[in-house]
Amino acid sequence: MSDTSLPDELREPMARAVRLEYWNIFWTLTIIVTMGLVLGQSQTMKTAWIEDTLGLVPPIMFLIAAHMERHAHRSRRFPFGFERVNGLGFFVAAVALTAVGALLLYNAVMALGSQEHATVGSIVILGQDIWLGWLMIAAQIYSLIPPLFIGRKELPLAKALNDKLLHTDALMNKANWLTGAAGLAGIIGLGLGWWWADSVAAAIISLDVLNDGIKALRSSTAELVDGAPRALSSTELSDDAQSLCDRLHAEFPGATIRLRETGRLIRAEVHDAHPPAQCRHPRDYWPQGEDRAWRLAQVSFIPPVKSDGSD
Amino acid sequence: MVLPMLLLACCNVLPRDPAGTSTRVAKERAFTVALADPAVKGAPEVQRLVHEIERRTGAQAHWRPGTGEGLFAQLDDGTLDLVIGRFQADSPWATDVAFGPPLLKTGTKDGPLELKAAMRNGENRWIMTVERASRAVSQEAREE
Repeated sequence: MSDTSLPDELREPMARAVRLEYWNIFWTLTIIVTMGLVLGQSQTMKTAWIEDTLGLVPPIMFLIAAHMERHAHRSRRFPFGFERVNGLGFFVAAVALTAVGALLLYNAVMALGSQEHATVGSIVILGQDIWLGWLMIAAQIYSLIPPLFIGRKELPLAKALNDKLLHTDALMNKANWLTGAAGLAGIIGLGLGWWWADSVAAAIISLDVLNDGIKALRSSTAELVDGAPRALSSTELSDDAQSLCDRLHAEFPGATIRLRETGRLIRAEVHDAHPPAQCRHPRDYWPQGEDRAWRLAQVSFIPPVKSDGSD
Repeated sequence: MVLPMLLLACCNVLPRDPAGTSTRVAKERAFTVALADPAVKGAPEVQRLVHEIERRTGAQAHWRPGTGEGLFAQLDDGTLDLVIGRFQADSPWATDVAFGPPLLKTGTKDGPLELKAAMRNGENRWIMTVERASRAVSQEAREE
């Protein structure tokens, strides 16, 4: 076990994930600049631009957490290292997504309610007057491409690292075509003279942001309040944790098994059972082979209280 | 050869006006104009702009009475198609109406004023027509 919070076998995939996230930030910035140049008055474009800007939060939080996990050593002040920094980053990203999603939805509904007619004028490029909507469509199409590739590359790394932050980011990137399609429909609808198309598309995009945020919020708060380990992309219990629970139950029948998650690691408490006579590493209790045994960082035993009241 | 022509044809399809201003102007061969600021009536840029729009649309300008920014309400309900006047460069009305490019810049450094046209928000094809005409007029003015 390393002196930092990160298990040794995760150093290589973590290094790859860090490189990928730097690329993710670079491509996201190009999208933000491209979209920002052609925003205009369109509610759809503003919402899509804010969504793209928000897309920076998960990779930045991941890089901060990864830096601390890889380089910050355990100390007297932080005896457990920084394995929960990732969980904190996940929570911050979830709060940002939820809050901004709700705000964007409010704006879109207000624009729809007040029947705002978005003005999208023209600009001159190489001496030609071009409707700004065409550039918005081009920017929307461009904004679809990098996330698609990055999301595909993130997904296996997120699974290998059991990283919820990375996994949420990967799913958001992969599902970006949906918001991109809504954005395109909004601008084309606006061009066709359907004033409401702009606000409706903005509302659909903001609903997607809000949905991502709420899912992430539920999962991240479960970890912060010592809930049982959750699956990477849902609020259901993780298969890993369920198998471990079954394995411990089989070995210690009648014991109460409590599992919690600190970042990517699982900690188990076996209540009302004595520890086995032979001293064993926590990884020996892992049910499904060696490759993911790093997940189990601790197994504690709490023996039953003796009937005479002494320990 | 076919592709650029197809692209140009596609480009011309959008945008359309939600309230159909351009279609109405083309059909009735008329559009309505008012001056937010009577002092600009004699400005050559104003006359040039109106003539340029008439030339591009094949419609006749019908001048309507009234002054002040209250005319924006008439733009909003579709009674007026165009309001021309001197407005602040960062006019607080910028979100309520669509301003075209400036025809002339006057005023001081601290309080710059722009002679420009205002249109009804969201009437994107009509706005584009006026923007093109405004650019042509200001270009013409620069070249003189």
